[in-house]
Amino acid sequence: MTVAAGVGYVLIALGPALSLFASVIAKKPFLILTLLSSTLFWLISLIILAGAWRAFLPVKSTELWPYSILILTSVGFQEGIRIGFWRLFKKMEDMLNAFADRVSKPRLFLTDKMQLALAGGLGHGLAHAVFFCLSLLTPAFGPATFYVDKCPSIPFFLISAIIALGFVIIHTFSMVIAFNGYTEGKRKDQIFVPFAHLIAALITLINLVPGGCNIGLPLLCIMAGTTLYYNWQLVWRRLTEHQTTRSSD
Amino acid sequence: MDDRSADSDPVTAGESSILDTLGEDVIRIVSPVSLCMVLVVLLVSSLSSTNDLSSSISSLFLSSTTTPTSFSSLNLLLLGSDSTWEEIKSALVTALSFVVVVTLLTFLLVLLFYFRCTNFLRIYMGISSLFVLSFLGGFISLLLISHLKIPIDPFTFAILLFNLSVVGVFAVFMPKFPISMNQGYLVAIGVLTAYWFTMLPEWTTWALLIAMSLYDLAAVLLPIGPLRLLVELAMSRNEEIPALVYEARPVDPQPGDRVRVWRERTDVRIEATENSTNSANVQTVQETRLAVSEEITAPLIEAFPQTGDRHLGTEEEEDGIGLGSSGAIKLGLGDFIFYSVLVGRAAMYDYMTVYACYLAIMAGLGVTLLLLAVYRKALPALPVSIMLGVVFYLLTRVLLEVFVVQCSSNLLMF
Repeated sequence: MTVAAGVGYVLIALGPALSLFASVIAKKPFLILTLLSSTLFWLISLIILAGAWRAFLPVKSTELWPYSILILTSVGFQEGIRIGFWRLFKKMEDMLNAFADRVSKPRLFLTDKMQLALAGGLGHGLAHAVFFCLSLLTPAFGPATFYVDKCPSIPFFLISAIIALGFVIIHTFSMVIAFNGYTEGKRKDQIFVPFAHLIAALITLINLVPGGCNIGLPLLCIMAGTTLYYNWQLVWRRLTEHQTTRSSD
Repeated sequence: MDDRSADSDPVTAGESSILDTLGEDVIRIVSPVSLCMVLVVLLVSSLSSTNDLSSSISSLFLSSTTTPTSFSSLNLLLLGSDSTWEEIKSALVTALSFVVVVTLLTFLLVLLFYFRCTNFLRIYMGISSLFVLSFLGGFISLLLISHLKIPIDPFTFAILLFNLSVVGVFAVFMPKFPISMNQGYLVAIGVLTAYWFTMLPEWTTWALLIAMSLYDLAAVLLPIGPLRLLVELAMSRNEEIPALVYEARPVDPQPGDRVRVWRERTDVRIEATENSTNSANVQTVQETRLAVSEEITAPLIEAFPQTGDRHLGTEEEEDGIGLGSSGAIKLGLGDFIFYSVLVGRAAMYDYMTVYACYLAIMAGLGVTLLLLAVYRKALPALPVSIMLGVVFYLLTRVLLEVFVVQCSSNLLMF
């Protein structure tokens, strides 16, 4: 539906991501590099998943269970990879701290670590938005639009843009929550992230039912809001704790 | 809210973290490469036409040049059958002949450099940049104007084209020109040449990319490789090779800014400590291990003039990656061009391949920069990126697309 609509869909999917990028990440070159590498990481995990599932596609049935297995395996794999990502992150932190000692600059602050986690999460979210939404958006720049059978009330592009928006938020902030959880060893945080991801992915299963997207989309946005809220509480708590411990020295 | 005040420990409130400046050099190389790729993708997608049309345009263009070895045009004209095997054969022949011609011309370049015909080389490169900017630039602008229906009269067009080309040639070759214009025009030359290359038929482009990355690997690393000979000659004479090279220097000039000449590393350090921002820059450059260490007195650089395109005569473009005399990373224009050709060709299939190939090329560039930091000598920048790019293109086309379309069309995402 013309260039304006296409650009609009891009902005719906990527608006918060772009503003996060411009305000936090663009200022520090290292964060941009972290973003690029985490995007690459997510892409590789997606390719591995696609390779594993290639033999079974395309799924012709309209039953729920093949798709639910697809979702479960994909989310499980990605959450497993997140732990690997965290190990890499720890190694990078150690290297950065060693480097900081050599250059006689202060070691990584708490905010630095959180910003790194944010950049990593934003990379994941960006990769999701790019591959699941943007790459299919090319026809939207043309003169027509497209509706999926199961959801005749909203154009396909708008649905995928809103879902991508939800997932960008979920991915970005789950990374911060997850890294904090692994660092502090708090079970609650560690469990929250895969749980939230799984629930969000299962919510999209509702879209398989005719007319389901009217329920699925708002639920997904609620899930994204929950993740955002949880992250906010966590970061607030962490920062105030950190400040009180520092000022009590 | 400033993040530093959120962390407000009175002791460290004024200090900056290492995260502020680390990786600046890499970003200064990643940005122009990304910009070049984005522009080529935009050009390709806005000017996209069917395969027949583009091949006929390119054959028209090629047959109008007067170079002796317009092999590709012959190939294109003779390409009657559309069968895949024929295409693959002609693609291999074209790619091989291109590599052979480039090798011969690079050896010729080494010879000329050995006999100190530097002026000849510089003038020749000026002429070839003028050619690229005016003829290719004009041709592509005409395509754009006709496609986007921009109202412009021939006289304005001629004046603009003439002005832009002449300024471009000066920007690229005069040493005291503002660095931002130099960088901008280098990116423009890269975009134009890369777009021209994407007009080749599909199999030929891929064969050419793979052949050029293998050539780059051989020419830079083998002891008899022409590019390696060139670098050693230049280093032993402490001269700069006249070539088209993108130098990732910061745009705002800092006090004690260096002209692009060969210098002792120790001089640079002494100057750097006078200015705090400068020293941060140098320190960063040092500590990110992308700089030459103090032991090496003759700064390493560059790469290797690579004669680009035999149809436009030979233009000197540099290939490979190295370190500039001011410690900035230098990337040859040939690398810009071939990265953009790969991404442009991916754009002709679908945008998903574009994103995947872009990430692969960035990963390859990162790996090359890491190797540069470890080995500290001039390295070929093409092989890793192109190979990763090709692998990701194939994987995306074969595996990823089906998966993603299947999931998205059912509105299933994770």
